[in-house]
Amino acid sequence: MTGAAMTAVPTSAGRVPRMLGPSMAFPASLVVLLIIMVPILMLFRYSFNHFDTVEMMQEAFTFENYVRFFADPYYRDVFITTVWVAALCTVLALVLGFPVAYFLAKTQSRYKSLFIILLVFPLMVGNVVRAAGWMVILGNAGALNTVLVGLGLAAEPVQFMYTPTAVVIGTTAVVMPYLILTLQSVLEGIDFSVEEAAQNLGAGFLTTFRRVLLPIAAPGVAAGTMLVFILCMNAYATPVLLGGTGLTMMAPALYDQITRASNWPFGATLALVLVCGTLLLALLSNWLIHRRYVRTMAS
Amino acid sequence: MATSATTGADADVHAPVRRGRFPWARCLHSTFVGLMYFFMLCPLIFVVWLSFFEDAILYFPPSGYTLQWYVKAWANDAFANGFVFSLQVAVLAAICGVVLGVLAALGIVRYRFAGSRAANTLLLSPLLIPGIVAGIAIYLAYLAAENFLDMDIVGTYGGLVIAHVCLTIPWTVRLVSASMAGLDPSIEEAARNLGASGRVAFLRITLPMLRPAIVAAALFSFVVSFENLELSLSLVGPGRTTLPIAIMQYLEFNLDPTIAAVASVQILLLGIIMLVTDRFVKLSQVV
Amino acid sequence: MAKVSIERLKKQFGGSVAVSDFSLDIADGELVAFLGPSGCGKTTTLRMIAGFIEPTAGTIRIGDVDVTPLPVHKRNTGMVFQRYALFPHMTVAENVSFGLEMHKVPAAERDARIRTVLDMVRMTQLRDRYPRQLSGGQQQRVAIARALAIQPKVFLLDEPLSNLDAKLRVEVREEIRALQQRLGLTTIFVTHDQEEALAIADRMAIMHDGKVQQVGAPQTLYEQPANLFVADFLGKMNFFRGAPDGAAFVTERGTRIAAQSGAGGARHLGVRPERVRLAAQPGDGNALPGTVESAVYLGSLLEVRVQLDSGETVSSQVANGAPRGQAPIGTGSRVYACFEPADCVLFAE
Repeated sequence: MTGAAMTAVPTSAGRVPRMLGPSMAFPASLVVLLIIMVPILMLFRYSFNHFDTVEMMQEAFTFENYVRFFADPYYRDVFITTVWVAALCTVLALVLGFPVAYFLAKTQSRYKSLFIILLVFPLMVGNVVRAAGWMVILGNAGALNTVLVGLGLAAEPVQFMYTPTAVVIGTTAVVMPYLILTLQSVLEGIDFSVEEAAQNLGAGFLTTFRRVLLPIAAPGVAAGTMLVFILCMNAYATPVLLGGTGLTMMAPALYDQITRASNWPFGATLALVLVCGTLLLALLSNWLIHRRYVRTMAS
Repeated sequence: MATSATTGADADVHAPVRRGRFPWARCLHSTFVGLMYFFMLCPLIFVVWLSFFEDAILYFPPSGYTLQWYVKAWANDAFANGFVFSLQVAVLAAICGVVLGVLAALGIVRYRFAGSRAANTLLLSPLLIPGIVAGIAIYLAYLAAENFLDMDIVGTYGGLVIAHVCLTIPWTVRLVSASMAGLDPSIEEAARNLGASGRVAFLRITLPMLRPAIVAAALFSFVVSFENLELSLSLVGPGRTTLPIAIMQYLEFNLDPTIAAVASVQILLLGIIMLVTDRFVKLSQVV
Repeated sequence: MAKVSIERLKKQFGGSVAVSDFSLDIADGELVAFLGPSGCGKTTTLRMIAGFIEPTAGTIRIGDVDVTPLPVHKRNTGMVFQRYALFPHMTVAENVSFGLEMHKVPAAERDARIRTVLDMVRMTQLRDRYPRQLSGGQQQRVAIARALAIQPKVFLLDEPLSNLDAKLRVEVREEIRALQQRLGLTTIFVTHDQEEALAIADRMAIMHDGKVQQVGAPQTLYEQPANLFVADFLGKMNFFRGAPDGAAFVTERGTRIAAQSGAGGARHLGVRPERVRLAAQPGDGNALPGTVESAVYLGSLLEVRVQLDSGETVSSQVANGAPRGQAPIGTGSRVYACFEPADCVLFAE
């Protein structure tokens, strides 16, 4: 019996009123609708307004903000930078995280739940604090430079902070636990007898991995990767603290537009481009992976 | 979500064995995993370590250790007030979110109705929207509402709490729905068979079985609200910032043991709550 | 305890009929087993009696009360679920107490009943344990105690033994039967395991595709199955297709079998493997010549397949109680498959 059976409403006398379900879900739905959905739609509408230095925003319907975004090389650059940083971090997290997920999925150790808690822990303490940690490590007087200079590997402190490198390191570290947990869940759902069957039939480790494990895990991997990519695209605290002016990404840029430049229409445009662009790219990669792998499996 | 199916004696049968060509592969694998864990955890380790450094300026290795920064941090108004404010917002947002979320989850999962799938999607949607975008959208909407209603909303406690409730509702719905789906329906049937009416069976049997999930939802919501930055950035007002924002603003100019102490306090608080939550619900399945 | 009358019960889900035209009268104190393959409608019928499913048509009477319109909690039918359904957040004693509270039994009597019923299932020592601390068999016993505590009019069991291992299953079914007889409980026991049903039921109702195939005492159903399904479902049976010819039955292959009188209208003839003796020489009664095809050793039985000269195959089941030293039946040996006319069952279909 599934959760669906849980919904079996009492029969023969004592029937539940039809409106009970909807009325229970209504308050929460109303809140989300009014506080999230409506404002987002308003923001969308604002992106078509006109920016005026005096009034800040004038009612209009114009595409000038979108035109400006796509025409201006600076903003195109910001978007492209955001995409490649996000893509790079996602790939790194995937490549580095997969062995960890595999280890966790297969381990029989009684410390397994401890390992998992250690993964969840950084996710819960907040991105600001984690970025602060990287500042301590990557700063000119930071831990990493101290080690490098101390061991003689560098003549003077290497500039890590406020570079794309720092942002990539910080963001990858932030999203890796998410990815590992997702991958681990996917891998645990696989019956490992298929791996044994493959080996029994003569496949070595790499072949088993490539031809058996990966295709089966692919849909779950795709879903997890999509989530992580979205997280990277939307990153704010990490790029601001670790990238500074050395690297501008979409989320900080759009925040600046609204608060410092007070250009609401353009800020709204950036927001929309970010959300839609992210969604499109994520769906595209998801579809590609599905095409590559899922088609080979019976539905 | 599936859990590892092998335990005890059976487990040995399926334990990974890598014979032959790469006997050292297992060792390499374990080392790599250890390295990755270090990579993910080292920021937190270093922050906590820094908070005890003797010197006011970041320098490795430290000349000594002290607790003075914790005292200094608490004496600092911005941090002390930020901490208290974050607490207040998180508590209220968690309570409201849990009440609304549990109600909604029950309505959607248990009393399935025509639009329940849509309602479920709607309630989970805030998780998909970037915090910055949501924060800005809400900020602008509040401004419009202010003009319309002729009252202050932006920068107020209430305004921030309402926005945070939109964060706590999705997590509550997720946690409680998952728990409900895992319940054995025949337990409630047994209660009714023994003479409990539908209502009594629900209140005395089903709801208590959901208690761990509800408690976990409350704790998790607290954490999500407390550590939130992006949504809150646009909605705080002068003299009323949250702790993460206060930390961020300080960090944009300065990195020293004081801020490390503040960050460590946040790490400690949220870490403890997370451990407690894990007692109620396996967090790995949720995140 | 009370008698149960089920009249023309029907359940339809959308286009498919799960139970059709089910009628049965169960006497006070009787144990009736609903037996059949998965999907035959036995659990659906049980759940209609309990009140979890509303019938599309028909009535259910417990005692003289028509309970069909009553909700579950007003029917007082104590049910034991397949996976026990114990309340995880309550101890054993609290689990048992729950039903008593619902029936507004005063506190003193509640305690007395809890003690009595836990004694009956030998769970008194573990009364303060939680379900997760109990083994499957122990949880089973608590589930039984909980259902009995409310002194139900009808005792319903939904495949209660299917989650227990084989040895425990036999033990527990005997305990349930002993308890049922001692207390005079009107009981309905749903199972897909025929041995269980045969062992403990006063009467059995065999179901298939939502319809009752036959109702009767286990012996009646086994020795005189009403149709091919029952004959094939309960135990094993050798079937011959053919037609009557005078007082005998002639199979398609021309074998002549003396059946009991009244062979008119029959299209199939059946005889149980244990009624087929293998002999070197023909005796009285039917004796069909043939060659032994295979002899499978099953521990306490020997199952021998004989290829008759006429081309048909017959299965014979022999208990392995033959004196030691006697030559075993080997493949290829010539034998006569012998059985009495009285052991033949004729089927109209």
